[in-house]
Amino acid sequence: MGVMRIGHINLRVLDMDAALDHYENTMGLSRTDTDADGNVYLKCWDEWDKYSVILTEADTAGMNSIAFKVEKDADLDAFKKRITDYGVAVTDMPPGEMNACGRAIRFTLPSGHDMRLYAEKEFLGKAVGTLNPEPWPDETKGVKAHWLDHALLMCELNPEKGVNKVAENTKFMSEVLDFHLGEQVLVGPDGDIQAATWMFRTSTPHDIAFVGGPKMGLHHCAFFLDEWSDVLKAADIMAKRKVKIDVTPQRHGITRGSTIYFFDPSGNRNETFAGLGYLAQPDMPPITWTEENLWRGIFYHTGEEAGEFTSVYT
Amino acid sequence: MTKNVVTILDTGETYGCAREENLLDAMVRLGRKGIPSGCHGGGCGVCKIHIVDGTWRGKTMSREHVSSDEEARGIVLACRAYPSSDVTLKVLGKMKKAVCRERKYGLV
Repeated sequence: MGVMRIGHINLRVLDMDAALDHYENTMGLSRTDTDADGNVYLKCWDEWDKYSVILTEADTAGMNSIAFKVEKDADLDAFKKRITDYGVAVTDMPPGEMNACGRAIRFTLPSGHDMRLYAEKEFLGKAVGTLNPEPWPDETKGVKAHWLDHALLMCELNPEKGVNKVAENTKFMSEVLDFHLGEQVLVGPDGDIQAATWMFRTSTPHDIAFVGGPKMGLHHCAFFLDEWSDVLKAADIMAKRKVKIDVTPQRHGITRGSTIYFFDPSGNRNETFAGLGYLAQPDMPPITWTEENLWRGIFYHTGEEAGEFTSVYT
Repeated sequence: MTKNVVTILDTGETYGCAREENLLDAMVRLGRKGIPSGCHGGGCGVCKIHIVDGTWRGKTMSREHVSSDEEARGIVLACRAYPSSDVTLKVLGKMKKAVCRERKYGLV
């Protein structure tokens, strides 16, 4: 019962052809549909539902919405009640309003991000099938991303004005959607301001993360790769294809993942994230990073801020 | 290949930039500084500049950061501006923040 995993993300792109070249030829997703409004739907080879990425051409970059898949249709009624009781308005979406999905509910996180929950999406299957499958498909392009793994949302944080949308989101996700806190960064003179959190429903350290910044936005969405050698090869592919790399292959202290950060052609940050980190379980004690070790947590090898990592986002 | 000369008024820095290159890529490639470097895709807005002299060709950039009025007045994102002559520019917005950052709470 409850939320299973991240289902899809809807990204705004400035140039659809350039975006498709990136998500298909660099990331290795395949196009599975285009709707009447021109939105394009894509999936990774190791995913079985119809899509995990929706691209919408627009005159700004960023994220329109993020959706999580729940296990049972009845979960939608239970969550609708819990979200409403918490004081957050919920809108019903009839079947098909989200392409190829059953009914859904939508609401706005305390941070202002549009989130949806759904229980059904059209099944297409993994590229390798389910009967005596090969470990990976031959035809996949680029870095051969396995699946959309998580997203990091930037949330307004202004302690002097008493604004902390990271903490508000974390409380909401924990109390209403039953997400578990995997890791957090605590800052400020008393070390009690929750400036960043990593939360999970699967057995990996995070399915969604919230980080404080001057305004709300999308920091990145991440695609899963198996291991470190895949990360290095992915960086080669990005260099070949002149993708703007933000942070070259690194290890995160937080979540223990190995990573590359880079930008899609509209400036939306992507990540290739490898390794399952550790077994995350509901009874696992959350991990805390202090302000002085914050950058060691983010970039374990250097322990330093890289570029404009927390001020550049869409 | 002839390169146009780009002058950053704030720092006095000059560098060459071909017509096929955008103002930001050319600066970063040469290891020069001055214009804040972000997403290089017209989305994040940190490389906002005012082209006070010269001509350029612009590619689509986020309207969250540059209005069409601003674009008509030469206020653009450096990563989306391709010079067709020598160009003189001023850095807008987040330049100061990039040089002297003050953070009280780790991330903000």
